[in-house]
Amino acid sequence: MINSVVDWLNGKFPDHFSPTWPISLARMLLGVLWLGTLRWKLPPDFDGGSERGLREWLELMVEHAAFSSYGVFIESVVIPNFLFFAWVLFLTELFVGLGLLLGIATRGAALVGLILSLNLLVGLLEVPGEWPWSYILMAMWHGTILVSGAGSLWAVSRHGSGAHGLARQTTVDT
Amino acid sequence: MASITETIRTEQVTTQKGSVATLVVRLALGFTTLFTWFDNISKDFYDGANFPGFFNDYLFVPAEEGGNGSQLFFVQSILNNTILRAPEFFGWVLTFVELGIALGLIFGVFTRAASLGAIGFFFGLLLVYIGGEEWIWTYVLLVSSAIAIFLNWGGRFLGVDQVIAKAKGESPFGLIW
Repeated sequence: MINSVVDWLNGKFPDHFSPTWPISLARMLLGVLWLGTLRWKLPPDFDGGSERGLREWLELMVEHAAFSSYGVFIESVVIPNFLFFAWVLFLTELFVGLGLLLGIATRGAALVGLILSLNLLVGLLEVPGEWPWSYILMAMWHGTILVSGAGSLWAVSRHGSGAHGLARQTTVDT
Repeated sequence: MASITETIRTEQVTTQKGSVATLVVRLALGFTTLFTWFDNISKDFYDGANFPGFFNDYLFVPAEEGGNGSQLFFVQSILNNTILRAPEFFGWVLTFVELGIALGLIFGVFTRAASLGAIGFFFGLLLVYIGGEEWIWTYVLLVSSAIAIFLNWGGRFLGVDQVIAKAKGESPFGLIW
């Protein structure tokens, strides 16, 4: 094991082969990100407390909509049914956060996370003070985990290659 | 024996996926840096006359007064004693550092050095924004992307580094390519 680590630190692996654990760490970090962002949209009122809450963000999306149809949708469908959409969003982000952090249904969580990231990109594109590249990076990370299947090391679920990843380490070391 | 062979094959497939993933991360971070650099240049952000304003009029100014409200005042002290002493010089340095990081990551050339530079550059940004209005996860994502590229030897898959390493062997301490 120690020799493997030393070899890896010295770059002694085939040219185009590299370990997946940094991607897995990033996956777990993304999970923490989603769980962290829940704090300003907590039920039952989904108020952000001292921070900007979910309703205020939705109003900003309407006010600074990059695509008018998106703004109209938020204004006429989402905001009038705020509680319903707030619960859906809360539970969805909770699923993505726990899924990515623990490696449960990793690809499903990554797919939903990708959609949520793209939604944030579209919704916040023209909101003052927002940096769209943040959401592009988020989408990129979710897409990477989804498409490559990398990042399933240290995963609870057997879906993907989670348990498999741990098993291969053990076998190679012996 | 069959189990070991199968496991090694799986290792190769899995790490291949890791390489593709690293390539995507490298390109995304490279283009993010390049577009940001271009945006900064077009706004004359790094100009010696404009550069100090970012620190003096925004970064550590309280949020109620329209600033970011950054909280790490020891970082402010360091900035006051370095960048703000010679803003023109550091403006040029950062212009080339940011461009170098972007091109290194996009083409996968000297990727270890470029990603190491990116870790330092983005971690510096993380420190200066911490505690303020800015969404700090942006910088966490940037730093973690750079770390993943560094740890995964990002230029060795569809990058110029792959060619350099074959021709010249490993770089000193593995820190350049």
